[in-house]
Amino acid sequence: MTHAVALLFYIGSLILWFRSLLSGGRGRGPGIAFGLAAAGVAVHIVALARFTAEYGQLPLNGLAPSLSTVALVIGIGLVATLGLGEGRRVGIVLIPVVILLEVVAVSLGIRPAPDPLDFQGAWFAFHVTLAFVGLGGLAVAFASGLLYLVQLHELNTKRMGRLFQFTPPLATLDRLVRTGLVAGFITFTLALALGWLWTASFRQSFDQSNPKVLWAIMSWFIFVVALGVRAGGGVKERRSALASVVGFSVIVISYLGLRLVSSGGGFFL
Amino acid sequence: MSPVSVVGVSHLTAPVEIRERFSFTPTEAESVLGGLVTGSEVEEAVLLSTCNRTELYVCPGGNEYVREAAERVLSEKAGEVVGGTKQYLYRHDGEAAVRHLYRVAGGLDSLVLGEAEIQGQVKDAYELAGGNPATPPLAGPILHRLFQSALSAGGRIRSTTPIGEGAASVASVAVELARKIFGSLEGRQVMILGAGTTAELVVEALARDGIRGLVVSNRTFERASELARRLSGHAVHFDEMPFALAKTDILIASTAAPHPLVTRDGFRHAREGSAGGPLLILDLAIPRDVEPEVGHEANVFLYNVDDLHEIKDDNLLRRRESVPEAEVIVEEYARDFLHWYGTRGVVPVIRSLRSRWDDVRQRELERLWQKLSHVSEEDRDNVEAFSKQLLNKLLHDPTQRLKQGAGNGRGVEFIDAVRYLHDLEAVETDSSEAPEPGDDEEVGGIEVDAPRTDDG
Repeated sequence: MTHAVALLFYIGSLILWFRSLLSGGRGRGPGIAFGLAAAGVAVHIVALARFTAEYGQLPLNGLAPSLSTVALVIGIGLVATLGLGEGRRVGIVLIPVVILLEVVAVSLGIRPAPDPLDFQGAWFAFHVTLAFVGLGGLAVAFASGLLYLVQLHELNTKRMGRLFQFTPPLATLDRLVRTGLVAGFITFTLALALGWLWTASFRQSFDQSNPKVLWAIMSWFIFVVALGVRAGGGVKERRSALASVVGFSVIVISYLGLRLVSSGGGFFL
Repeated sequence: MSPVSVVGVSHLTAPVEIRERFSFTPTEAESVLGGLVTGSEVEEAVLLSTCNRTELYVCPGGNEYVREAAERVLSEKAGEVVGGTKQYLYRHDGEAAVRHLYRVAGGLDSLVLGEAEIQGQVKDAYELAGGNPATPPLAGPILHRLFQSALSAGGRIRSTTPIGEGAASVASVAVELARKIFGSLEGRQVMILGAGTTAELVVEALARDGIRGLVVSNRTFERASELARRLSGHAVHFDEMPFALAKTDILIASTAAPHPLVTRDGFRHAREGSAGGPLLILDLAIPRDVEPEVGHEANVFLYNVDDLHEIKDDNLLRRRESVPEAEVIVEEYARDFLHWYGTRGVVPVIRSLRSRWDDVRQRELERLWQKLSHVSEEDRDNVEAFSKQLLNKLLHDPTQRLKQGAGNGRGVEFIDAVRYLHDLEAVETDSSEAPEPGDDEEVGGIEVDAPRTDDG
């Protein structure tokens, strides 16, 4: 029920984002849309806190709880743009992602995993949480990068219509891309390091065929590439935005692909 | 005969890269107009050359030779154009030309509906054609009357309708563009190339958003210094402009130079040492100051006058609603002008008619006094007064009908009839005998209207 309320707030926010887009971002629409998204995040936190209290475990294991947690992390990423003025409008891209993840999670049923892993605890919680925060950072970079490319297109084609009016400034979006990538890269690297340490401590061997491991390493390299393209001359902002969009898309598509081919991957995410 | 013809090119018929080829500097305009008036059948001429249009108003109107001469002037200025210049030129004669100028002066034909700048540009064009005491006026009585009246119409349209309220200015659009690229403008470096008024307005608007520094560069260093002092910036000599360009975030170009001042090669050279951050260039000049290829450089956002007007105009819908009201004013002024134009040919006829029959009256009275020598002075005065009164009564209706007919466009027809029926010799219809602008004239006790030149 609490998840449904959070979803309602998110959907209300999405509707207002698109109405704001149609009005070129004029008026109080974007502010109210952001407020609804923040309310959704607050209710979402309550929902996952209730899950933790009810089942005695963090919502980090099992597909549905994990997806819901990733959605929440992305929502928090949006709330973190509070002080960025028009930068908050990345919500028009982030909120649909949040809604999609939350709808899938609610559809699957947000229940604890039937086979709790033996390594649950602070170690595992840190590892997974950091990985999710890393993905959240990349999601923010993706949303900002996408809007950067849209705004760049509007400026280059000199159309300057409602989309131009609504979309935040290039400099703001580039700052968000950079912040999302750096924050995401740091937390994701820490997550991988913790995972590696856990494996070295408890299993003595690194399971290279585990799709989750492969996917995580690929994701880390995507972070490296997205940050690496900022080096050198030319329009580094555009390259970085493009790399963020492509990188996030590759991660999502590869995740879906791995989910399809990995029959026993119920624990994957 | 039609009072005036106009030949021109505008934002409605040609893009900026074509329009800039038709652009005249004031010196060029003066020279061309002088040549046109002395070397062809053109009697009067005014050239209006702005960012959005170049139009040549010529008298007499509806004359193929005159129109061709005007077209030739514009085509020669444009030079070789793929497909020829005629495809971009429009021509209006008579009433259409008159209405066109009123619409132009009222901002109804502008790229930004209702913009006020055109009013000053029309005034400048008119003054250029008549304001130089060293040369004979290029705008004679007809264009003088037409332009005075057009300025009056434009003023009334702006003062009595909301057509100009909230019109997007180049300055506001420039600030919006800068914000969408840089976010905050705090600490940004701005350079002005040229010392135009529009560039100054843009800088003032940018300054309110916290730009860091301003550099002004102009061919005339004194003008650059003066503008820099006014805007709290600093001036650089024109040959130092490339060095300043390397540190610039926003470049506003608005010189009257006939060729681009910022070429791609020069730009690349100037920006070699820069950090490679975004550069917003607003090229407000016609002809353009910045080669279009510069806009293809990495992180360069180049906008010319046409591009700037593409930006969303929030108040456009409201201003559009006032167009019918403005068109009524245009119609009223056009009607007044055409009435004046029609009646101006009638005035000499009325004068001749009056003179003709007054001569008859006096001759008949003289003959009468020779026969009636015993009549007292007092009675003679009474008869004299009676004869004048009778003449006025007899001529009143024909004169009024003549005036009305002329106002309805049947002036030539009526003048011919009156001249024939009353045997009027050598009726002077030359325009030099037209009533002076702003005056009402009384001929033989009959008032002849002149069109309005002010808001009343």
